[in-house]
Formats: sequence, C-alpha cells, structure tokens
Amino acid sequence: MIEILQWTTLIACGAAALSRIPNLVRKKNRSLFYVLALMTLAILLSIQGPYLVIDGLLGSTNLANLLLRFIIFGAIYFLGIRIANGFGDERGLRLIQGHAGLAILAVISVALLVLFAFMDTEGSSAGMMAVYARDERNKVLTEYYGAAGRAYPAYVCLALLPAMLRAVRSTLPAPLRISALLLAIGGIAVILSLYFQAIPPALGYLTYVINYTAILCFVFGLALIWLAKVRAGRNTMDRTGRSAARS
Amino acid sequence: MPLPAKAFQRWLHGIAPDTSTADVCRLAGIKRTTLAQQLVRGKVAEATVVSISRAFNANPVSSLAYFETYRDLAGPQVPPTSHELVSQIATMDLLRAVIARSAPAAESGAESRGVAGVAGTPAPEHPAPGGQPALSPAPHATSVKNWVDAIDDGELRHRVSAATGIAPQNYSAQLTANRMAPEVAIATSRAAGVGLTGGLVATGLVTEAEAGWEPGARQAALDMLSDADLTVLAGDRLQSLGKTLRRQEQDHQQAEKIWENLG
Amino acid sequence: MPLPAKAFQRWLHGIAPDTSTADVCRLSGVKRTTLAQQLVRGKVAEATVVSISRAFGANPVRSLAYFEIYHGLADQSILPTPQELVSQISTVDLLRAVIARSGTGTAPHTSEAPQAGLLALGPAAHATSVKNWVDAIDDGELRHRVSAAAGIAPQNYSAQLTANRMAPEVAIATSRAAGVGLTGGLVATGLVTEAEAGWEPGARQAALDMMPDGELAVLAGDRLQAMGKTLRRQEQDQEQTDMILENLG
Repeated sequence: MIEILQWTTLIACGAAALSRIPNLVRKKNRSLFYVLALMTLAILLSIQGPYLVIDGLLGSTNLANLLLRFIIFGAIYFLGIRIANGFGDERGLRLIQGHAGLAILAVISVALLVLFAFMDTEGSSAGMMAVYARDERNKVLTEYYGAAGRAYPAYVCLALLPAMLRAVRSTLPAPLRISALLLAIGGIAVILSLYFQAIPPALGYLTYVINYTAILCFVFGLALIWLAKVRAGRNTMDRTGRSAARS
Repeated sequence: MPLPAKAFQRWLHGIAPDTSTADVCRLAGIKRTTLAQQLVRGKVAEATVVSISRAFNANPVSSLAYFETYRDLAGPQVPPTSHELVSQIATMDLLRAVIARSAPAAESGAESRGVAGVAGTPAPEHPAPGGQPALSPAPHATSVKNWVDAIDDGELRHRVSAATGIAPQNYSAQLTANRMAPEVAIATSRAAGVGLTGGLVATGLVTEAEAGWEPGARQAALDMLSDADLTVLAGDRLQSLGKTLRRQEQDHQQAEKIWENLG
Repeated sequence: MPLPAKAFQRWLHGIAPDTSTADVCRLSGVKRTTLAQQLVRGKVAEATVVSISRAFGANPVRSLAYFEIYHGLADQSILPTPQELVSQISTVDLLRAVIARSGTGTAPHTSEAPQAGLLALGPAAHATSVKNWVDAIDDGELRHRVSAAAGIAPQNYSAQLTANRMAPEVAIATSRAAGVGLTGGLVATGLVTEAEAGWEPGARQAALDMMPDGELAVLAGDRLQAMGKTLRRQEQDQEQTDMILENLG
C-alpha cells in the first residue's frame, strides 16, 4: 500500500518536473524545475529499492540519507522563496531569506551533520531503520537526527502558512485560491511531521501518509497555478468584454 | 428550487395539455436532461416555469402565482416605487443622464465659468427631446444590490435574515454577486413592504413588462430625479463600481505575480 | 493685483514700444478705463498683462516672469504631474471616459459611444478646476502650508476653492508649497491656457488614458458626489428663496 503511494508520488512529481522543461529551455522560472527535480530525487531516495542502490554506490554508510535531508532543505528553501514572492508575502520572505531564517538553516544543518557523525551508520537501510534498531544510543541519536531533518521544512511552512490562508479567503480567481489551499494543507502536513515521535509505532504508516500528502499537495498546487496561467493566457482576449459586462 | 414537481406537472398540463415533454423543452429552449433531472429531484426551478410560460405566451408572473409559494403574485401588484425603478437603471445610463443634463452648461461653460459652471447653471428638468438614447433593459450588472439599497430602510437585511433564515453575511454575498433566489427576492419585497415583483425583475427572472411595469416607467422616474439626487446617486454608484474594479485590478496584479513566480 | 504700474510701463514699452495706449487697449480687448484705473492705483492686474501679451504674440507666462513676484515662472522645467493633468479634465469628460471604457457603446448606443471616445476633452479650467487642482496636489497638509506662506486664513482659502477662484500669486504660492510646477494653478484658474503654460498637447488625454479603470471610476465618483452636494445646497437655497417669496413677496 505504502509502496503504491511512494511510486505514485514519484511519478506525479517527476511528471511535474518534466512539464517544466519547456520553461527551463525558455529560461522562465527555472528554479521551479530544480525544486521539482530535487523533490523527485528526494522521493526516489525515500523508497527502499532505489535507496539501497544509491547508498551502495556511496559506500553503504547511509550517506544517501544525509544527502536526502539536504536535498529536501534545498528544495523547500527555493520553493519557499518562490511562494513568498508569488503571494506577495513580505513577512514570510524575510523569515526565510533574512538573517534569522539563514541562522536557523545553519544551526539545523550543523546539528544534522554532528548527529550523523556520532551515529554508527554502517549498513544501508532506508529511513535508517537498522541504525535505529541497533542500540539505545543510536536510537536516541536517530530520533534527534530525524527531528532535525523535519525541523527546517516545518519552519519554512510555518512562515508561509498565514499568507496561504489569507490567499484562500481572498477574492483571487478560484484556481489560485484552491492552489493556496493545497499549499496550505501541504504546509500543515509538513508542520505535523514535527510530532512524528509522538505517533505510536502501530500507527507508523501515518508518517508516510503525512509525508506524501505534503508532497502531493505541493505538486498539485503548483500544477494548478500553471494550468490557471495557461487558461488565463487564452482568456485575455475576452477579459475586457467580461469586465465591461460587469460594469 | 422550491416548486414541487407534482404541482408543476399539473400546471404544465393546464398550459400545454397536448404537448409532449420533448416539444415543451424544444419550444421553451430548456435542455431535456435539465427538466428530467428537476422532475426526478421533485423540485422544479422557477426559471423553467418562466421559460415555458414565455414559449406558450403565458405571463410568467401569473404562472408562478399558480404555485403555493408564489400565490401572492396573483392579481394586480403594487406598482414599483420610483426608487426601485431608478435602481434598475444601469450605472452607465445614469452617467449618460448626468452628461445630458449638464451638456448645455458645459457648452457655455467656457465663457461663464463663474461659480460652479456645470453645477451652477440650472439644467433643464427634462432632457432634450429625442437626444436621449433609450435606457438599456433591466437588469444590469449591479441591479440586485441596487434594488435592495433602494428599498432598504436600514433594518431590511436583518428582517430578511430573520424571515428567511439566511445568515446576513450570506445575504450580502448574494447581493455582491448580483444573485438572489426568487423566494428570497419575494421575502425581501415583503420585508420592505413594496410590490412583490421588484426582486424578480432585479434578478432578471422576469422582464419589466412581464412584471407589469409601465413602459417608460424607469425613464419617467429618472426624469423626476432632481439634478442633485441624480448626481449623488450616480456618484455613489461610480464609487462602488470603482471599488469593485480596484479590487479586481488588485486581484489581477496579485494573480499575475503568482503566475510570474510559480507559473 | 500686485504688478507695480512702473514695472508694467517698462514691460509694455519693451513689448509694444511704438503703440499708443489706446491701440494697446483696442488690440488686447482691455477696456481703456480699466487700464487707466489700474495705472492710477499703481497696481496692474495679471489678466491685463496676459491679454496684452496675447495681442502682441508674446507668451503670457514669460511676460508675467518679467515681474519681480513671478520671476520663478521663467523656469518651466517641471512638468505637471499626471494628477494635475487629470484634475484639469472636466467631470463630464471623465464620465464620458468611464462610459467609453465600459464598452456599453454597443446595442442601443452605437452612434454615441464611439464619438464619446474620440471626442476631444473640453478645455482645461473647468467648473471645479481650482478645487480639483488643489485636491490633486494636496498631501493633506497643503492648505495649512499655503495659509502660513500666503497669509490667507484657511477658511478664506477654502471659500476661494469652492468658488473656483484663486488669485495668481496664491496659485503660485500653492504650487510652491506643494512642490509642483508653478504654472498648474495659472492653468486651473484659467489665467493662461495649457499651451501657454507649456503643457504638451494631449498631455491631459494621455494622463487620463494611463489611469486604471478602478481609479478613474473612484475619481469620477468623488467628483460627482462633490457636484451633487453643491447642487443639493443650491436646490435647498432655491427652495428657501421660493418659500420666502411665496410668503412675503
């Protein structure tokens, strides 16, 4: 079941990235392509099979997991800036790009590296399950490591959430408001991931549901904005006519 | 859609006894699937009755009066107030009237620019004969809101809310969207103590003529307005139009920005 | 009327050295008695200088700049702001623009609307141009600054605006206080024309075309409401007058 969710998300995200190639060639909003490409790579690294292959190439010390964390950081950083710019969210932009935001990113990155260094990471295992199960010390370290990895995305999503909710209640065209809603749901899912440790092991599948919900919401939210743009472009001709009818 | 399907069937039989449903739909310009769906649900839209009435040369208002909810529409109606009539004149027609009234002053304005010029020279009470183009037909782009404003004594919205159980903010949203369900329109008329057809005309369900409004009644009501009242009214209309347009322009800019960054 | 008669005589000699006073008056359409009176009082009206300038093919603004208090007019480098330009469009012309933009010129009004779109704007200095001009350059404190600078009581200043009148030196003081070009007020009061003030032909139309629909509608709405208030006061005054006449006449 979870496998299906993972592969579906991978395909959706990969397709979204591919759909950006024309814009990449035209040098329009190129960072969106990179964000989607990074997200696709991140999903790939979170699936058991591909993870084992890639980590094997990197020496089977779970370095691929550390790579995954920084790929996510990079994707969320650039996506956050794009979204804040697009929705005119000055405050969110400051929180992400300003000194405080960069300091938080630096602190979390260092914490991640230190925790990784202290762990006994020998032996590839997706989600570092094997490391977690090794002994008490590694278990605690893995938990902190995971929390640090989820903290930065949660910070960015928290910074953007107010502007998203405002946009949902605004008088913007419906597709854009639905996009804002999807981005808000994705953001809330990411923020919820901070509480993964509180989820009992029996409900472990919830973590997957929350993670992939977040990614799917982001991907579909962005796709909807793109579709609305294409449609609006086609409709500019009769916009004047409609506004005249309204006045 | 509060017309019971059974009553509708009876009414339809009365008005077009020997016509097949297919023919009724064809003549009235209603989609067969739409009518079928409404009949299955047991609730027929007022607009359906209006369309069929027109196709069979019956007065839509009298047809609606056949149904329980709209019984009070039967018989002669209280004529619309002059405020209601003016509310059903499009903003652009009001502006044309302002221009027409101040035209003589504007022409002589160059020489006699003293105190207030345009405003100062008394405009003729009636527009130049023949110079006035006909008013565009009701309803217009903001006719529902303007109609309610025209009959509102300040407490109307609350009374309508209480009578119909619609939350005030939903009611306001309907007005802004220039929409109103027919039964709410009737309830509004009742709460304001005016003729019952005003809201039906404002929502465009029936025409002025079908509602029994005199031809030229709106023009006459417009001509009766003093220059000051007309000017203030047109100013109010323009300001709310401006606010709407401004919001649209802001939304448009915001959307452009989103597309620019995320599209 | 603050132009000293002596300076005026010098200026007049420069512009029309060999013309008799009688001819100057005839050519410029200034009444001889008026000019004589102004010379006797020692103070010549700016309008006199403007009329004579026009008669002799001189630019009135440059002529005014000859006089001490209007020296600043020699520098015409500051162009009018878009708001100033739009303020010099009459309310009726703004309404025509609103109608033209709404595009309802189809159906019953085909003959009228396209014309309205193409129709040239009426001349600057319309029925409420002085007040609209001051509103266009007012940052909220302008009236106070003008009062202080020109020594006019604020209520007198407001009364002048309502009456669509303003002395040329007050117009200049207002422009200075607002930090805009000095000719705006002279155009708004109708002392000089747009062209004489060096405004580009079509500048007002261009400024109007630049306005977004929402802003235009709000501005026209504001103008209409101000006009409505004026009309209402006039109607009330009229009613009162009628009543007095009816009862006591």
